[in-house]
Amino acid sequence: MKMISFSQFLFMNSTAIITATVQHLYLALGSELIGCLIAIPLGIWLTSRKKLADYFLAVTGTIQTIPSLALLGFVLPLFGIGPLPAMIVLVLYSLLPILRNTYTGITGVNPSYIEAGTGAGMNSRQLLWMVKLPLALPIIMAGIRISTVYLISWATLAAFIGAGGLGDLIITGIQTADANFIIAGTIPTAFLAIGAGWMLGKVEMVLTPREGLIVSDEGR
Amino acid sequence: MVIFKAVSKHYNGHIAVKNLNLNVKEGEFVTLIGPSGCGKTTTLKMVNRLVEPTEGDILINGRNIRDTDPVALRRQIGYVIQQIGLFPHMTVEENITVVPTLLEWPATKRRARGHELLDMAGMDPVIYANRYPSELSGGQQQRIGVLRALAADPPLILMDEPFGALDPISREVLQDELKSLQKRLHKTIIFVTHDMDEALKLADRVVVMREGEVIQEATPEELLRKPADDFVASFVGKSRRNDSKLLIVEQVMQPNPVTVLPSVGLAQCLTLMKRKRVDTVLVVDEEGVLIGGVSIETLDREHQRAYRIGEIADHNLVTVLNSTPAKDAFDLMVGDQLKYLPVVDEHRHLRGLVTRTSMVNAMASVVWGDEND
Ligand SMILES: Nc1ncnc2c1ncn2[C@@H]1O[C@H](COP(=O)(O)OP(=O)(O)OP(=O)(O)O)[C@@H](O)[C@H]1O
Ligand SMILES: [Mg+2]
Repeated sequence: MKMISFSQFLFMNSTAIITATVQHLYLALGSELIGCLIAIPLGIWLTSRKKLADYFLAVTGTIQTIPSLALLGFVLPLFGIGPLPAMIVLVLYSLLPILRNTYTGITGVNPSYIEAGTGAGMNSRQLLWMVKLPLALPIIMAGIRISTVYLISWATLAAFIGAGGLGDLIITGIQTADANFIIAGTIPTAFLAIGAGWMLGKVEMVLTPREGLIVSDEGR
Repeated sequence: MVIFKAVSKHYNGHIAVKNLNLNVKEGEFVTLIGPSGCGKTTTLKMVNRLVEPTEGDILINGRNIRDTDPVALRRQIGYVIQQIGLFPHMTVEENITVVPTLLEWPATKRRARGHELLDMAGMDPVIYANRYPSELSGGQQQRIGVLRALAADPPLILMDEPFGALDPISREVLQDELKSLQKRLHKTIIFVTHDMDEALKLADRVVVMREGEVIQEATPEELLRKPADDFVASFVGKSRRNDSKLLIVEQVMQPNPVTVLPSVGLAQCLTLMKRKRVDTVLVVDEEGVLIGGVSIETLDREHQRAYRIGEIADHNLVTVLNSTPAKDAFDLMVGDQLKYLPVVDEHRHLRGLVTRTSMVNAMASVVWGDEND
């Protein structure tokens, strides 16, 4: 088979690449969103249950250490192939950074702010929404940023269980020994990861409250 | 208005407050003072139920606070915490109006109140309302901390070392503001400090605490005149030492002024003045008794005519006794436009010299505190 140039390749496969990219984003960002919806409330809930929190952090930490291929292997018999099992795996991976940062972010809020809020007459819900969450937000956002970047690159593995995405292009490339496919899968993945990291980093900066001159916050 | 009845607080065995009985009247300014760890903050926090007493009762307006909802209670009591604790993610206006927000005041009323308070503290709302705490000086932050406690117009305000981290000048200014504000708005204030000057200046009544117990409870005048024991006396005394009114000349003078004997020649004297970089020397005899003074102008004028310093010395110097209050000496210098003032004892022995520099130094040490203190 004659190798074609990369630009010709791009021209011929542009629809496939775009479809794969969109699919990829769906997989990664969808999982991230679900991960946030689980881990942030869980993290908040755990802040008043220290023992349980240690346990949960240990469990999610352990999940993080299971090789992704092995984890895919576990969910395969349970949920079959396709996007669903892939997303389950990705959600599991997203949990730790978000959960840990939510928990440490909130428990790390300088006690003097908590005291000021309580002393002003906030109830526990108001204290959470008006003081703890806003002050912990930059740290929670950092957790979201880290896990998003991870998920975007790990989502390539989802192709192994038929979930599609940019991983498809890479696998095709490996199977047909066609570097063009590998590059067409790898480069967008890298750009997506870098781009997401950069954008979320910006958001994080905007959300970081300016610290007082006198009241320094040892919490971070 | 606030009554403590045999209140104690134990922290697993450690007694932070022991059998406290105190009756704070309406409109009264009470300061709690004592060394670090004596239970001042704990006492204060029991009033708004941030800390629950182990024993005893606290009544506010005749009502036992155990029977009130802590959240509602706190919204009716102004509270300035020890570390200011302005919320860094809220603007100045949002910080000030936290309690009105919790009380669900309408936005326009909240804003008006925020601006009113800023105006009252001499901070232009146009400039400051939308700033963040990090964009304020330390003194401004502490003002905002106080304004936040005032926002919902609570009759009772608890303040925990609100001016703690300030330089003495801003501190004085804020103290004056607070005192006049309290008089004007007729607030009841319980104010914690460990600075006796601050306590005496602000309080209608000072409560001196040590190791969780009240040692003395008295008006500032009584406290100064009749300290209950040595502890209180030393506590009061320590703070009084820096008071400019009580400094004497001996403490502010320069102890080793440049002197010459009357027998010294003019040229020799000139060399000495040049070497010591002074424009005046004092003339003393062998016994150390002050005879007079010679300034560089006199030397210049008379050097043709005279040989010895004794011949040209000015014998009519204004002098002060070493036990004179420093303030009187300063008044004399300023009033008579003197460049310097020799200090002598009862036998006219020269003890030192007060110059304008020593005056500035003495005032600075009163204002900023003595470094070696
Ligand atoms: N939450 C707590 N747990 C255990 N001990 C405490 C607690 N809070 C205060 N204490 C102890 O109670 C005592 C009184 O503390 P408190 O904070 O009332 O002192 P303070 O007079 O305000 O001191 P400072 O001038 O340093 O602020 C101290 O010995 C302190 O260590
Ligand atoms: Mg204290």
